[in-house]
Amino acid sequence: MKKRLYIILSILFVFLPLGLISEYSAWGEWEPETYKKLLGFIPEGIQNAHSFSIIPDYGEGNVIMYYLSAIIGAGIIYSILYFMVKIKNETN
Amino acid sequence: MHIPDGYLSTTTVIASYTLTIPLWIYGFKKLKENLNEETLPLIGGLSALSFIIMMFNIPIPGGTSGHAVGATLIAILFNPWISFISVSLVLLIQSVIFGDGGISTLAVNSLGMAFISSFSGYYIFQFLKNKKFSPFIAGWSSAVISSLFIAIILGIQPYWNEAGKPLYFPFDLYTTIPALVGSHILFFGIVEGIFTQLIYKYLKEKK
Repeated sequence: MKKRLYIILSILFVFLPLGLISEYSAWGEWEPETYKKLLGFIPEGIQNAHSFSIIPDYGEGNVIMYYLSAIIGAGIIYSILYFMVKIKNETN
Repeated sequence: MHIPDGYLSTTTVIASYTLTIPLWIYGFKKLKENLNEETLPLIGGLSALSFIIMMFNIPIPGGTSGHAVGATLIAILFNPWISFISVSLVLLIQSVIFGDGGISTLAVNSLGMAFISSFSGYYIFQFLKNKKFSPFIAGWSSAVISSLFIAIILGIQPYWNEAGKPLYFPFDLYTTIPALVGSHILFFGIVEGIFTQLIYKYLKEKK
């Protein structure tokens, strides 16, 4: 099962740029300006929200950054689980 | 969809965290029980798979896009608590590192995409038993059910307004339910179903 899982991960990783084909965002995940266009105003909460991110929007369409984002994201997730095992083993 | 910051009223944020924190604590305990050197490559790999599959944005008619989540897959391969925490962890990283989904909205996003997806998918799969297309049906249903939850949470936000002017997400249930649940019934549920079916069968197949 493990081997097959990593085969799937590798194949998906190779084809990762396919994820960039869509120019559309998910429903509701719009820029504040979209609300201005649709409603004539931007709701206060949405206007005041300040979002901070280290790699905004997975590199904003850049293929290299998209690959890097996948490595960083999956890497951090795996590392957190890895350290959970380490800590568990040390406390036992 | 990943609800961004600023879309939900303070009341919704507080209520959702109050509900989700105990679930996270319990789920984290379950994960710790199950996680060891032997299961790490599998649980870690499946969590990575959830992160990667969410990067495959698929455009649909009407000018939006979406992707599979993978919660049902992890839930039926392992157990729904593991899946809930794994996908919550994916959502946390997406939010903090990539600005995909908010911090204030992390509890609602986790309840929808992680908790409801995992448990609805798991129980539907159990109910159907090992039929040929159980993974597909479980994946499809979990996507539809969790989209209904997100649609309801978003659709009640106009209740918080100032003289009729919405302060947060401005569209009501008459808009959110057809848009979100409709698109999940027709498209994203199918994507989740196919993903769950193919990967489950491939991973479970005997050599």
